[in-house]
Amino acid sequence: MHPEKQKHDFEPKIIAFVCTWCTYAGADLAGTSRMQYPANVRVLKFPCTGRIDPVFILKAFQQGADGVLVSGCHPGDCHYIAGNFHARRRFAAFRKLLEFVGVDLERLQFSWVSAAEGGKWVEVVSDLTEKVRNMGPMTEFKELALEEQWSGTINTEELKEAYKQI
Amino acid sequence: MTQTIDTNIYAAVTEAIQSEAQRILAAGEVTAIVGYAAARRKGSAQPIVITSADDAQKLIFTPACVNNLAVYLTKAKKEIPKSGRIGIVVKGCDLKALVGLMGESQLKREQLYLIGVPCAGVLASTIQPDTGLTSDSIAPKCRECDAHLPQGCDFVPSQTPVTPELEKKYAAEIARLEALTPQERWAYWKEQFSKCIKCYACRQVCPFCFCEQCLCDRNKPQMVDTTPRPAGNTAWHIVRAMHLAGRCAGCAECERVCPMDIPLNLLNRKMAKELKELYDYEAGFDVHDKGPLNSYTEKDDQSFIK
Repeated sequence: MHPEKQKHDFEPKIIAFVCTWCTYAGADLAGTSRMQYPANVRVLKFPCTGRIDPVFILKAFQQGADGVLVSGCHPGDCHYIAGNFHARRRFAAFRKLLEFVGVDLERLQFSWVSAAEGGKWVEVVSDLTEKVRNMGPMTEFKELALEEQWSGTINTEELKEAYKQI
Repeated sequence: MTQTIDTNIYAAVTEAIQSEAQRILAAGEVTAIVGYAAARRKGSAQPIVITSADDAQKLIFTPACVNNLAVYLTKAKKEIPKSGRIGIVVKGCDLKALVGLMGESQLKREQLYLIGVPCAGVLASTIQPDTGLTSDSIAPKCRECDAHLPQGCDFVPSQTPVTPELEKKYAAEIARLEALTPQERWAYWKEQFSKCIKCYACRQVCPFCFCEQCLCDRNKPQMVDTTPRPAGNTAWHIVRAMHLAGRCAGCAECERVCPMDIPLNLLNRKMAKELKELYDYEAGFDVHDKGPLNSYTEKDDQSFIK
């Protein structure tokens, strides 16, 4: 039977961008093999890691992800021959950019998980979930989004006057 | 200490450009020349496209010739005649951008007549155009310039610029930011990006932003908020820096035109530095078919991948 589920104060939201040929199949294998892994991960399937634009990662953080995982085929195993080689360079550069802007890179994990590595998928997802859980929620991007909201309090004389005029 | 920078050669350079422009236009070697002309404000300069040999006298080169004219060959193509070779006046930094555009198949070398300019530096964007060139008034990009003499041009005046060694401001600022904690860096960039008014001047002036439709203008799906608010601004600047990584030639036009004084070139220099370290790639005078982010080797570093 299922082991007793531990209760946590904070359940991080992890977005996983995976390639359909390797990691998605690997995650599938983990499932069909009845391996247990945290349900915090939301898997998004792409044709290839080469299809994963850095802007997707940015968007994930903006929409409230606490951690992002990008995973695909091992180098040399790409279904499209070189997609993951290109992705590797692009993400190496993107990491440097995020680091310079001040994003904590501990929240962003890259991995190679093949279709046969159900166990590795479980390990990668569990590790990232625990790491992000210990770090707490990702607040930077959420705060940016909150700053965009109009507070709605009419607290100055000027504003009250203007409000009455309407 | 303020140091005067010798710009005596600029007069001779102007003369050489004028006579060469006169010659190639009269001989029909080019149909038009993109260059600099004096503008209305004292000492200022503006871009000009000339098509007749009589106008060659209008061309100048002064420390106020700040623009990167390469942008006229990618975006404002409409003002440029469609047929024949085009002449263009280029400083070393502008030539690097042109070379990058050639590598990306946006321009063909045989369709260009390059008039290179030996350049000791140009004025910073905040300085009055009739100011003399000193170590205080010089543009920050010129402080770390390694391309005072353009190479591989069709014509370069024979003068050699005298260039003193100046403190590298971008390198120093990058080092300062790198030494901060991620939270401090985030606070710094948050403040900088919050100034952005999304005028997209940085995009318009960039020779490499030549996409017919920018990803950031698309709304199905909308990847980047278009309104000038903190979240969308941050996303825009990260996307911009990422799309220029491995392509930016360092002309610093984005920073010059920014009305809110956001240090945009700092992001570009940082990416250039990282790509030099990672893949030994640098924008230069040689045309490369592929930049660092659209090529690969099987031995690339993957220490960050599990």
